Amino acid sequence: MVLLGYNAVYIRKLSDVVNSRPGKFDAKSYVQKLWAGRLQEKLDSAIDVNTLKESLQTDPADGFGKYTHALAIGNYRYAMVKGIAMVDVVKEDEVLVTIQSAQPFKAVVLTEFVYGNTLRDASGLIDLQAFPNTGDLNGVSGELNKKVRQEVIPALKSMLKPGNKIEFTGAVELNKAHLRFDDIEIVPVRIKRIS
Amino acid sequence: MIAINNSYKQRIKSLQSLIALVLLCLVLTVLTDKFFTADNGLNVLRQTAVNICIATGMTLVVLTAGIDLSVGSILALCGAVAAGLLKNGIAIPAVDTYIGFTVLGVVLAAMIVGALLGWFNGLVITRFNVPPFVATLAMLTIARGFTMLYTKGQPISNLGPQFAFIGAGSFLGVPVPVWIAAVVVLIAVCITRQTRLGRYIYAIGGNETAARFSGIRISNIKMIVYALAGAMAAIGGIIVTSRLDSAQPNAGTSYELDAIAAVVIGGTSLSGGRGSIWGTVMGAIIIGVLNNGLVLLNVSPFWQQVVKGCVILLAVIIDKANAKQD
Repeated sequence: MVLLGYNAVYIRKLSDVVNSRPGKFDAKSYVQKLWAGRLQEKLDSAIDVNTLKESLQTDPADGFGKYTHALAIGNYRYAMVKGIAMVDVVKEDEVLVTIQSAQPFKAVVLTEFVYGNTLRDASGLIDLQAFPNTGDLNGVSGELNKKVRQEVIPALKSMLKPGNKIEFTGAVELNKAHLRFDDIEIVPVRIKRIS
Repeated sequence: MIAINNSYKQRIKSLQSLIALVLLCLVLTVLTDKFFTADNGLNVLRQTAVNICIATGMTLVVLTAGIDLSVGSILALCGAVAAGLLKNGIAIPAVDTYIGFTVLGVVLAAMIVGALLGWFNGLVITRFNVPPFVATLAMLTIARGFTMLYTKGQPISNLGPQFAFIGAGSFLGVPVPVWIAAVVVLIAVCITRQTRLGRYIYAIGGNETAARFSGIRISNIKMIVYALAGAMAAIGGIIVTSRLDSAQPNAGTSYELDAIAAVVIGGTSLSGGRGSIWGTVMGAIIIGVLNNGLVLLNVSPFWQQVVKGCVILLAVIIDKANAKQD
C-alpha cells in the first residue's frame, strides 16, 4: 500500500507549480494578433472560388488536400476563397449573390448568423496541439465570429446593394461526401465594391 | 435416455450465447468480406472492452437480483475525476502545497470514487429498503450532476501520452483496453467461482430469505457487490477518457443499457441467482459484433437500434422459456 501510494502521488510547493504554469488563455487578444497578422496573409493568398470548384470537381482528393483545412476528422473541410460576384437580393440575415465564372452560380453571404468554426478552420492557422483544452479552441472561433459580426459586416453592408459588383474574400465549408457549390455560404472577411 | 437428453439440452443451453455469437459471425462473414479480418476483430474487441468491464460489474449486481442504472454516470464522473486530478492535482493554498497525481494515482483515485459511489448505492438499497431500480436511478442523476459541476460542463483534454496508452496503446499486438477487460473478467470469474463471496452472491439472488436464514449478511454482500460494480464502471471510465484523450461530461450516457443488454443476452436471469460472467462476455461481444456488422453492412443507425432491441427482446424471451423449463 505504501509503495502504491508513493508511486501514485507527489507533493510540491503550490507557488512553484503555479509559477511554472502558463497563464489563462486570452482568446480576444489572441484573435486580435491573428487578425492583424497572419490572417491577412491568408486572405491575400485565398484561392479563387472558381479554381477551387474546378479542382474539386476534377480531382477531389488533390483539391481538398491542397486548398482546404479541417481540425476535426469527418467529411467537413474548410477553405478561404475569393471571387467576384453580383449582388442579387439583400435579405435581413444574408445577401444572395451570383458568383462570376464561365458557369455562374448562386452563393449566400452571411450577414447576421455567423457562428461555428468555419473561419477558424478555413484559415488553416490553428495548431490543435497548441491548445490545452477545447474551450480555448472554441474561444478562438467565438472571437473571430464576433469580429466578423461587429467589425466586418457593419462596414460592408453599404456595399451590398442589388446590382452592385463586389470582390469578396471569405471562408466556406465544404462537405467531401456531398460536394456542391450552389448556394454555398460565405463568411465574409473582406468585401470591396467594384462597380 | 431421458437423462441423456436432459444433459444434452443443459449443455446446449449453457452454450447458447457462444452458439449465437458463432452464427452471427458466420452470417456477417458471408455478407461482408470486411468482417472476418484480424484488424476488424481487434477493433471489435477494443470497442467492446468498456462494455465488458461495466457489464461484468452489472452481472454481479444482477446475480443478486438487483440492477444498477448508475454505471454510465459513475463512468463519466470517474473519468472526469481521473482527468481532473491528472491535469490539475489538488491545490491546498493554506499550506502552499500541491498534490500531483501520476497515472497510477488517478487510476486508483477513480476506482476508489467508483467503489464509494457503488457502495453508497448498496447502502441506500439495504439500509433504507429502497428498490435498486430507484436508488441507482437517483445515483444516475446525482453522479451526472457532479460530473457537470466538476467539469463545469467542459471537456478536460490533453491528458498526455502515458494516460493515452491505457485506451489507445497495444501490448503484444492486443489493444490495452482488451487486456484490462480480460483482467476484470478473470477477477470476476475468480470471485464468482472460487470465493465465498461468489457463492453468497448466487445464494442471495436464488433465494434471499433462505440466504438470510443460513446466516449470510445480505446487506454487507450487496454493498460489496455494488461497490465492485462501481469500481468496474470506473475502469470503463478510465478507458473511455484515455481513448478520447478527454473527459467528456456527457460520456457514458446510456451505457447502462448496453451493459444490461450484455448481461441479459449472456443468459443471466434478471430475477437473480442464475448466470455467469463468461455468458456476459459473450453477450457484450455479440452486441459489439452486431454493432460492427451493421455498420459494415451500411445499415442506418436508426435500424441498428431496432435490431439491437429485437435481439435483447429475443434473449429475454429465451431466458423466460428456459426458466419455465427449469
